[in-house]
Amino acid sequence: MLAIANLQVIYDDAIEAVRDVSLSVEKGRIVALLGSNGAGKSTILKALSGVLYSEHGEIRSGSILYDGEDCTNQPPFQIVRKGLIQVPEGRQLFDQLTVEENLIVGGYSGSWRKTRAHLADVYDLFPEIKPHRNRISGYLSGGQQQMVAVGRALMGEPRMLLLDEPSLGLAPLVIKQIFEKIDHLRKELGLSVLLVEQNARLALSIADYGYIVERGRVVLDGAADRLLANDDVREFYLGIQREGERRSMRDVKHYKRRKRWLL
Amino acid sequence: MDYLLSLVVSGVVIGSLYGMIAMGFAMIYRATGLVNFAQGEVMMLTAYIAYSFQVDLGLGFAAAVVATLVSAVVIGILLERIFIRPMLGEPVFSRVLVTIGLAVVIRSLVIMAWGAEAQPFPAPFAGNVVRIGSIAVYASQLFVVVTLVVLGVASWLFFKFTRFGIAMRATANRESTALLMGINVVRLYSMAWGMSAFFAAFAGLSFCLMFSVEPDMSHMGLRAFPASILGGLDSVTGSSMAGVIIGVVENLAGGYLGRGLKEIAGFILIVVVLMVRPYGLFGQREIERV
Ligand SMILES: Nc1ncnc2c1ncn2[C@@H]1O[C@H](COP(=O)(O)OP(=O)(O)OP(=O)(O)O)[C@@H](O)[C@H]1O
Ligand SMILES: [Mg+2]
Repeated sequence: MLAIANLQVIYDDAIEAVRDVSLSVEKGRIVALLGSNGAGKSTILKALSGVLYSEHGEIRSGSILYDGEDCTNQPPFQIVRKGLIQVPEGRQLFDQLTVEENLIVGGYSGSWRKTRAHLADVYDLFPEIKPHRNRISGYLSGGQQQMVAVGRALMGEPRMLLLDEPSLGLAPLVIKQIFEKIDHLRKELGLSVLLVEQNARLALSIADYGYIVERGRVVLDGAADRLLANDDVREFYLGIQREGERRSMRDVKHYKRRKRWLL
Repeated sequence: MDYLLSLVVSGVVIGSLYGMIAMGFAMIYRATGLVNFAQGEVMMLTAYIAYSFQVDLGLGFAAAVVATLVSAVVIGILLERIFIRPMLGEPVFSRVLVTIGLAVVIRSLVIMAWGAEAQPFPAPFAGNVVRIGSIAVYASQLFVVVTLVVLGVASWLFFKFTRFGIAMRATANRESTALLMGINVVRLYSMAWGMSAFFAAFAGLSFCLMFSVEPDMSHMGLRAFPASILGGLDSVTGSSMAGVIIGVVENLAGGYLGRGLKEIAGFILIVVVLMVRPYGLFGQREIERV
């Protein structure tokens, strides 16, 4: 459904944030994109949503195929209309607007009638936010805000959801609740998800497949259970020590990944 | 008492005119973060267009008003497309300078096309006197006040209840997220210019009904600027009310404290208000919660 091949992204004509990333997401799958700070995860999502230009970034090479169509450098509103919708890092609510107004903006690319129907759906999915519908969203708790952010994306009838660190700064219970809803939507509606996380254990517990990105490159990928069992992943991302001195990710020889051409 | 009343009434009338102009400032500022210093000139241009529709093309008053409003929206959209959009991504300062240049250009073009002399504006009803209780006003003055009230209420409804209005507020709040929600931000900018010119056209018509068509009417733009600031610069509905407040304060200051104070009373008022409320009377304050 989504296939990124050899993506390279540069900011300000100078900073190479994504060097060479290829990945794919099948329909109805949850795919985790893991990596430490500054690995380039958010940049990949911004490239997918077509909003790099607003930060002086651009796709230098590579391609993005969504539903067999080339999406590279399409304007963001057209990408949203195709059902590729992002929940940005740090929620980024319209904090001066009410909860319901946030949701209404989420449904902007559809009709009013659909927006009304989806409002009810979102309140069904996240009953916690319904009582706050007329409150200014900036005053909600972090967990409630994340629900509004996810709900707002759902208003646009996504077929694939791009989630950027949904667990950031939230209590474990709230995280669990949000992840359960996402899993539910995947099963119910066949929603596909590209899930960016720093919390690898959490992400791999829900994902089918995972990619690990370091310094703008995919260094490892595999089925979620295989990644969870992988010694290096356990050491570097799950914090499980094994005997011997600590090594840096770069020294791990077998991470030098064979070149894989998607397409 | 009569003196006070007449000062207040004429203050409300002139303030309504300020309000319409200020709404135009706020519309563009809110959507694009830009102060359009050509707002007064756009108002003058639309007034001359209304004049020509009546005098040169022989349209009736109502038809001329409708035609003027339509032309104004088109002009607003064209100005954005031709002068402002190519500057997208440039520093705000350069973009504001473009609007100042635009003001000079429009002014020269208008004087070239219509001449520098004031012309009487054909207005069938403007001189009629209307009595409301003990107050007598000209029909033109009533027109101005009623128009402001209608525009103020309409803008409030627009931003509160229409999807496009909510999307405009969302974009002003956080543009990067607006892009992710599928809002075509460039189109929204152009609509903001169109709507701002729509307000400018009402202001231009109001001015002409009370006075005449003349190039100097563009100075009203600067006179109305305190109203925008008082309203919070980004609040369209707030600007309409702030205009009335400024109009009344100016008139009272001029009437009781001396003519010289009339011109600057508005500016003094905003300095005082901004010291107490930095976001203006109706402006958005930042939400501090992470
Ligand atoms: N707007 C920008 N301009 C210049 N450089 C940027 C910009 N945004 C990101 N970068 C750089 O690109 C690299 C990748 O950043 P990105 O935000 O994609 O990382 P990330 O994997 O999402 O990290 P995190 O987990 O901290 O969110 C970093 O080195 C960052 O400094
Ligand atoms: Mg990130």
